[in-house]
Amino acid sequence: MTSILECRELMKAYGKVIAVNNVSLGIGRGETKVIFGPSGSGKSTLLRCLGLLEKPTKGSVYFNGVDVYVSKQDLNKLRARIGFVFQEPSLFRHLTALGNIMLGLKHVSGLSDAEARRKAYEALKLVRMEDWVNYYPAQLSGGQQQRVGIARAISMDPEVVLFDEPTAALDVELKWEVISVMKDLADRGTTMLVATHELRFAKEVADEMIFMDQGQVLEVGSPDHFFTSPNTERARKFMAKILG
Amino acid sequence: MLFLLDYSTFLINGFIITVEVTLIGVGLGLILGILAALGDIFGGRIIKIIVNVYVEFFRGSPLIVQLFIFYFTIPMITGIRMDVMLTAILTLALNSGAYQKGYLKGAMEAVFKDQLMAALSLGLPTWKIFLYVVVPQALRIVIPAWSNELASMGKSTTALIVIGVREFLNTGISITAQTFRPLETYAFITIVYFIWIYSMLKALDMLYNKIKIPGLEPVI
Repeated sequence: MTSILECRELMKAYGKVIAVNNVSLGIGRGETKVIFGPSGSGKSTLLRCLGLLEKPTKGSVYFNGVDVYVSKQDLNKLRARIGFVFQEPSLFRHLTALGNIMLGLKHVSGLSDAEARRKAYEALKLVRMEDWVNYYPAQLSGGQQQRVGIARAISMDPEVVLFDEPTAALDVELKWEVISVMKDLADRGTTMLVATHELRFAKEVADEMIFMDQGQVLEVGSPDHFFTSPNTERARKFMAKILG
Repeated sequence: MLFLLDYSTFLINGFIITVEVTLIGVGLGLILGILAALGDIFGGRIIKIIVNVYVEFFRGSPLIVQLFIFYFTIPMITGIRMDVMLTAILTLALNSGAYQKGYLKGAMEAVFKDQLMAALSLGLPTWKIFLYVVVPQALRIVIPAWSNELASMGKSTTALIVIGVREFLNTGISITAQTFRPLETYAFITIVYFIWIYSMLKALDMLYNKIKIPGLEPVI
């Protein structure tokens, strides 16, 4: 399968600290892939590089087969085609739930106010937040904020959505609000690359799981593979720890 | 105080000048403050140094000294003398901009980095992030500090007397010189200043309450 988004031999260093080292992976249309691994393993940095929010120190990022940095394409236009959901909801605090979604639709996609409003409402409905359109971020729970963050990302009709541990900052109950929305998206065929520790979610929806440790991909396989017999000792220990 | 009615035109003109220089000075100071704050946040080393020299000079020296420099010293060096009102407005704007830079920088930095990253991920170019994400939040956050600036600048305009601007206090001094009735004259001047500044503060307070958003309260 041709990858929509792909990185080859990607390396990202901050001074002498190497956060991601020689990672190559890709995600094809309609796939759901889950990246997991201990904190500090480089998952977030990798996603930020793939989301074109950080430039890799070495290696390449390909979007629809074109090397993003060699082809010198307009990064803002490409970013609009890659949805990103952050660990913190990162909503714009001066805008309502609806306003948060309309901002990109109006000022990036160039939709009229009425069109943007209609599309933003649809996106909020998809994440079951249609009753909260006029609420400001401070008036929403963490789970609701994160669902608005997801709606904001998918409203732009991205070709792929990257999720950077979207449930990490939420308590158990709120986590499942968000996970069920993500499951819906996966069922609808949304192309998703998800960094998460929610292995139950991974088991249910992932086409492939990628285990990272110390900035490197140590093992790639199906959920069944990881849940039954991971190859590496490190992955085995991590799975055991997470699954209790 | 009825004798002041004979000087009403004179007083009104003086008051209009005071209001004008205050509002134009603070308004231009806001633009300078925004530019200086942006320079200090996003600029390179040289720009940061220029911004900091500007801010430290205007915050670290008395307004009267700054007025002397702009009205007397610089024309002596350059041979170019500006109109007294232009000098007054320019000096007040530069002075106010130096203070406003501090408030604005704090307010802009209060727009958390994660929001900037989120805006970037939507594909918004930097100038749109600034216009639609940073400024609307920063201005709301800065209003309480900004009302102090307006009140302070309104009172500071009395310093313009040293370069001969016919502002409100200066008209009062002239009236006193003619009537020898300082008590009533200065009492009247004080009352007008108080009502004017109190009204401005109340108006800003109402504006703040009208546009305030839950969760977006000042953090500076």
